[in-house]
Amino acid sequence: MVRRPILRNLELGAATAIFVYCHAADGPNQEHCFRVTEYFQDYITVFAYLAFGVILALLLLSVASLIRPSRPTPAKAMSYESGIDPVGGGWSQTHIRYYVFALLFLIFDVEAVFIFPWAIRLEQLGWFGLWEMLVFIAILLLGLVYAIRKGVLKWE
Amino acid sequence: MTNALYIGIGPIIAVTLGVVVLLMVEVTLHPATRVWRLISFGSLISGFILAIVQWADAANNPQPIFSHMLMHDGFSAFGSIVLIIVAALGLLVAWPLVENDRARGAELVALVLLTTIGLMLLVSAANLMMVFLGLEVASISLYVIAGFIRKGARSNEAAVKYFLLGSFASAVFLYGVALVYAGTGTLEITAIAGPQFAGLTQTPVLLVGIGLIVVGLGFKVSAAPFHMWAPDVYQGSASGVTGFMNAGAKIAGFAALARILVVSFDAQRGDWGPALAVVAALSMVVGTVLAITQTDLKRMLAYSSVAHAGFIMTALVGGGAGIDALWFYVVTYAFQVVGAFGVVAAISGVASDESALKQYVGLGRRSPFLAGVLSLMMLAMAGIPLTAGFAGKFGVFRAALEAGYTWLVVLALVASAVGLYFYLRVIVRVYIDQETAEQPRVVITDGMRFALTTVAVLTVAFGVNPAPLLTVVSNALPF
Amino acid sequence: MIVTPVWYMMLAAALFVIGAGGLLLRRNALIMFMSIELMLNAVNLTFVAAARQLGDINGQVSVFFVMVVAAAEVVVGLAIMVAVFRRRASASIDELAELRG
Repeated sequence: MVRRPILRNLELGAATAIFVYCHAADGPNQEHCFRVTEYFQDYITVFAYLAFGVILALLLLSVASLIRPSRPTPAKAMSYESGIDPVGGGWSQTHIRYYVFALLFLIFDVEAVFIFPWAIRLEQLGWFGLWEMLVFIAILLLGLVYAIRKGVLKWE
Repeated sequence: MTNALYIGIGPIIAVTLGVVVLLMVEVTLHPATRVWRLISFGSLISGFILAIVQWADAANNPQPIFSHMLMHDGFSAFGSIVLIIVAALGLLVAWPLVENDRARGAELVALVLLTTIGLMLLVSAANLMMVFLGLEVASISLYVIAGFIRKGARSNEAAVKYFLLGSFASAVFLYGVALVYAGTGTLEITAIAGPQFAGLTQTPVLLVGIGLIVVGLGFKVSAAPFHMWAPDVYQGSASGVTGFMNAGAKIAGFAALARILVVSFDAQRGDWGPALAVVAALSMVVGTVLAITQTDLKRMLAYSSVAHAGFIMTALVGGGAGIDALWFYVVTYAFQVVGAFGVVAAISGVASDESALKQYVGLGRRSPFLAGVLSLMMLAMAGIPLTAGFAGKFGVFRAALEAGYTWLVVLALVASAVGLYFYLRVIVRVYIDQETAEQPRVVITDGMRFALTTVAVLTVAFGVNPAPLLTVVSNALPF
Repeated sequence: MIVTPVWYMMLAAALFVIGAGGLLLRRNALIMFMSIELMLNAVNLTFVAAARQLGDINGQVSVFFVMVVAAAEVVVGLAIMVAVFRRRASASIDELAELRG
C-alpha cells in the first residue's frame, strides 16, 4: 500500500489551490482567475500523469522485489551494453566514421518537422494533402536509397 | 487559369526530374557515361522547351502561382531560358571532369543541375522565403561543386571559404527578410509595395531590412566590399566548373535583386539608389585595381567579375528603367565568362587550380581557335565596339545617366579604360610574347569546341546587332 | 512590466550581432560554424516574434523552412570540414592560406 503520493511539489500545490479557489461558486476576480487557472490546468494534467507514472513504477518495482529471489553475482552487477562485455570507460573516443551516420540522421530528422504541422491539419487537407506528403516522403526515401546504394551505411 | 500552374513550374520540374532520374539510374544500373549525358542534356533541353512555352504563355497572362510563391511571367521564363543555356554550356565545358571521375561524375552533373534549379527558383520567386530557398539550394550545391576535387588542398580551401562566407551572406540576407517581414507584415514581393503598406515606407526596420537584403545578395554576386571570397573560390575550384559557378550566380543574383528592389521597394528608391551606386563604384574600383596585379588568369577573371558586378549594378541605381539594360549586360557577360573560363579549362585542364598567365604565352600558335576565343572574350569584357560587351556597357551607362548618376558613369568609364590594360595584356601574352619553354599540346573535346564556338558567335552577334536581344529583354520586365 | 514581442526582436538583434561578431573574429572553423547557427536562430526568433505581433502565421511557417535549410547547411558544411581535417589536423582557418593575392 502506498501512502501519500509524492505531491510535495509546490507548483502543483499552488496550482491546485488556485484552481479550486477560482472554480468555487463565486470567485472574487473571475477574469484574472480564469487566465491563471487555464494556464495551470495544462500543468495539472502533466503532473497528474507524472505522479501516476512514478506511482506505477514504484508499485511494480516494490512488488517485484518482494516476490523475486535475490542472488547477486558480479556478472549480474555489470553495466548492460546490449549483451557485449563493457570495454573501457564511458568517455572513450568515438570513431570518426560515425559522422556520416550523424549527418544522415540529422537531415532526415529535421525533415520530420514538416510532418508535424501536416499531421495536425490532415483532416482538413484531405486526400490531396495525403498525396502531397506521400510525394514528399517518397523523395526523401529516394535520397535514402541513394545513400544506401552509395555504401554510406556500410562499415568496411 | 489553372494551366498557368503547370506551365509556370514546367522548366523547374523538368530539370528536377533529370536530377532524380540521373542519380537513381546511376546507383541502380551503373550505366556508361553517355547515359549520364543523355539524361542530363535531355532534361535541360526539355526544360528549355518548357521555358519557351512558359515565355509564350506568360506574355498573355502573367500571374502569381502556387499561392503567390512563384511568379509566372516573362521575367521568370527569360531567366530560366538563360540559366538553362548557361548550365548546358557549363556542362559541356566540364564534361571531361565528369568522365574522368567514374565514381562521382554523376554527382557533379546532378549538382550542376541542382544549382540550376535553385537559380531558376531564385529568378521565379514571388515570395521572399522562396527567394531564400532558391538561394540556398543553389548555394549549398555550389559549396560542394567548389570542393569537388577532394584531393586538392586548394579545392578544399575554396570550399571552406565559400561555405563560411556564403552561409554568412545567407544569414544576413535572411535577417533582412525577417526585418522586412516585421516591418510590413508580408513576405510576398508584390504585396510589399501594395497600398495597404503605404504608411510604413520609411520605417527604420524596413530600411535596415532592405540594406541587409542588398548586402546578402551583394555577397552572392561578388560585389565589393563583399567580394573577398570570389578570387579564392574561383581559383581554387576545378577550372571546368568555374565559369558556370560565376555566370549562374551573377544571372540569378542580379535578377532576384532587381525583382525585389524594383517591385517591392520602389517607394524607397531614394534610400537604396545611392547605396547601390556606392557599392557599384567600389566594385568597379576594387575589381579593376586588383585585377591589374594578378599573374593568374583565373584570379584575374575573378577580380574582373567583381568589376563587372559593379557595372551591372550601375543599371539598377535608376530603378525599373534599367532592368532591360541589366538583363542584356548580365546575359552577354554570362556567355563571356563561360567562354573565358572554358578556354582556361582547355589550357590548364578541367581539374586544375593553376592557370598562371605564362601558360598562355604563344597560345596563338599552339591553338589558334582557343586563342581567338580567349581574345574575343577579353575584348568583349573590356567593352570594345562590335562585341556584346560594348552594347551592354552602353545600355547600363545610359540607364545610370538617365537616373542622374553622372559621377558613377564617369567613374565607370575610367574603370573601363583602366580595365583595357589587363584585358589587352592577356592578348599580348597570347599572340606577341615569345615562348620560353616548350608548352604541351592543347587537346580539346568536341563538346568544349561546340560550347566555345557558341559563346563566341553569340558574343559577336549580339555585339554587331544587339536589337533582337534588346527586344526580347524589354519583354522580360518584372512588372 | 510586460514583455512584448519587440523585446524578443531586440534579443534576436543582439544574438545576430554576437553571431556575426563570432564569425568575423574567431579563427576556429567549428566555432565560426556555430556562429552561423546562432545568426540563423536569431532570425528564427525575429520571425516568431514578428508573427506573434502581427498575428500572422507566415512568419512561423518560415521558421520551419529556415530550420531545414540550416540542417542541410550543417550537413554539407561538416562534410566539407571533415574533408579538410583529413588533410591537416587543425581546425584553424588561418592555416587555410594557400590562396591569396
